[in-house]
Amino acid sequence: MTSASAPLVAIRALHKSYGPHIQVLKGLDIEMKPGERVVVIGPSGGGKSTLLRVMMGLEKIDSGAVTFGGKPYISSAGPDAKTVIDTEVRRSIGMVFQHYTLFPHLSVIQNLVLAPCKVRGEKKASAMRRAQALLERFGLGAKANAFPAQLSGGQKQRVAIARALMLDPKLMLFDEVTSALDPELVAEVEQVILQLANQNMPMMIVTHDMWFARNIASRVIFCAGGVVVEDGPPEQVLGAPREERTREFIDRVFHIKQ
Amino acid sequence: MSLDFSVLLRFQEALALGLWTTVKLTLICIVLGCSLGFLVGLARTAPNAIVRGIASVYVEFFRGTPVLIQLFWIFFCLPLILGIELSNLASGVIALTLYMGAITSETFRASLKSVGREQMDACIALGLPRRVQVMNVILPLAVLRAVPTLLSNCVSLFKESALVSAVGMADLMFVGQNISNNTARPVEVLTVVALIYFAIAFPLTRAVTLVEGRILKKLAI
Amino acid sequence: MNYTFDFNAVSLGPLIEGLVVTVQLTIAANLIGVILGFPLALLLMSRLAVIRWPATLFVEFFRCTPAIVQIVWFFYCVPMLFNVFLGSVTMGILALGLNLMAFNAEAYRAAIQAVPREQIDAGIALGLNPLQRVFHIVLPSALRASVPVLLTNGIVIFQQSALVAIVAVQDLMYQAKTLATETYRPIETFTIAALIYFAVSFPVSQVVGWLERRRQILTS
Repeated sequence: MTSASAPLVAIRALHKSYGPHIQVLKGLDIEMKPGERVVVIGPSGGGKSTLLRVMMGLEKIDSGAVTFGGKPYISSAGPDAKTVIDTEVRRSIGMVFQHYTLFPHLSVIQNLVLAPCKVRGEKKASAMRRAQALLERFGLGAKANAFPAQLSGGQKQRVAIARALMLDPKLMLFDEVTSALDPELVAEVEQVILQLANQNMPMMIVTHDMWFARNIASRVIFCAGGVVVEDGPPEQVLGAPREERTREFIDRVFHIKQ
Repeated sequence: MSLDFSVLLRFQEALALGLWTTVKLTLICIVLGCSLGFLVGLARTAPNAIVRGIASVYVEFFRGTPVLIQLFWIFFCLPLILGIELSNLASGVIALTLYMGAITSETFRASLKSVGREQMDACIALGLPRRVQVMNVILPLAVLRAVPTLLSNCVSLFKESALVSAVGMADLMFVGQNISNNTARPVEVLTVVALIYFAIAFPLTRAVTLVEGRILKKLAI
Repeated sequence: MNYTFDFNAVSLGPLIEGLVVTVQLTIAANLIGVILGFPLALLLMSRLAVIRWPATLFVEFFRCTPAIVQIVWFFYCVPMLFNVFLGSVTMGILALGLNLMAFNAEAYRAAIQAVPREQIDAGIALGLNPLQRVFHIVLPSALRASVPVLLTNGIVIFQQSALVAIVAVQDLMYQAKTLATETYRPIETFTIAALIYFAVSFPVSQVVGWLERRRQILTS
């Protein structure tokens, strides 16, 4: 798998349920090429966030398989089988959560250098240098020694993004990263993500912000009821959806927005 | 009746000695009790059901019975069972350490539990190995969150330590009762003893509120 | 160890008699504490410093001195200071009741102040007058929130009541002490007495735990 069009991520027949009755993912098949920016939209409970959590290796799956860069990453033979997660592969994926999840007892820069130093054995001085540079780039140079509690929501979320980037991920996952923010702070976080997009960072984004989705996506997936309903370029899925369910959803969202 | 607090002046030294015993006993048992409590708190979250069971029985039993009876048990029964003499101090230390261990284990357990799922998700997303998760995230957070409650546990211990007077250990309360009996001036003597306890415990409880505010502010995300 | 256990040497009769006294002390002290703790909590939150300060001092005094000191003080000093001579059980009830009153007042105060500001705002927005806000919004929520703490305090007083044995009230602890000396069977006696205390406390603390878990689920 060395050709240019080989998938970065291949998700095959992914099933996932919480308990015996709540099936969240019902056989998902998604392929993602290198350099793609996939935005996943859909109604609440449709499995978007679960998909991202599975991709990060935070959830067990019932059955199915995920490969990353051609290598097996996650697999499970059935509901009672063990979910096998390759932690080596997992390290090349970064994730940012809705509620920041910064470590509150560590300063901003300590939050950034913890993983590189402890996971990769990077020298503290070099990690600090990279962290400081990253913070400067995100307009947070002056906040290196602040504690998370002293930052605004937008600043916290930018720190969380920087923290994930410290491990040079090959794929970034963003799970509703602006949902908890005050409206005036949303732009500064989206700016940072757009910056990453310009550098061709592959990413998978779950968001309710359709304007952001249109701006950043190279591809939009509409997920509902645990399956992919529609999958295509943003102009199509957001502008002229082919599927009835997608159209209903888009109509509703945009009516509320306007 | 007329009150005469000047009788107390003659007993300054005795009271100071008693207070020193109280403080010494409290400090020793804070150190030993917190260490025990931490281990027991961990044991109560252990995957092994037997370890968890033993820890739970210990904690529930010590929290479910009067400290006075625990003290009597250690003073009168433990030497019989072990077949050795135990000094007053040793018995007092054992009894109050076991008491402190039981209450602080609950503090540690609650704070360990308070390190939420989201923090664990972040640890996994950053690929932190288990050891780093425990040493750099869970433990520091849990200990920080535990500090205010631990401080009030210390105040409780300081107050409960007065019970050792009932088994003849010469702490502040014991000395006070002796003086009160000898001088037949219980009102003056016991009031002063109470005020001494108050003068130490009250600022500590204020400190708890202060520290709690600071820590909550720092840990709020 | 060469001690032979003989649990038959311990006659349960006196222990049960003692338990009856202990339970009486506990129930009476709880009545005082639960009922009078509430007005005391209101005093603690008074806007007038002349009311707030004495109330605070009263509460802090009980919270910051050892219970054994309070009880010994009460038994020796109240008769001398006020020239009143009451039966020892009554004295015990008063001493424990005052202590519990202070702790419960603090529990009520914390619960009242923990009622979220938005709830009261919502009451204002709905046009409720101040009295209606207190009776329909603040109190129902605060009283419900204080139940677990009141129960815990109640069971703590049950355990603390053992202290009155020191001033010769014939409660469970006192009977155990006497029996242990008479029979030379301290291990058996104190173990049985401890188990009796435990048998009463443990179920209550389990109920408290259950209430708290349920509350967490309901409010989350």
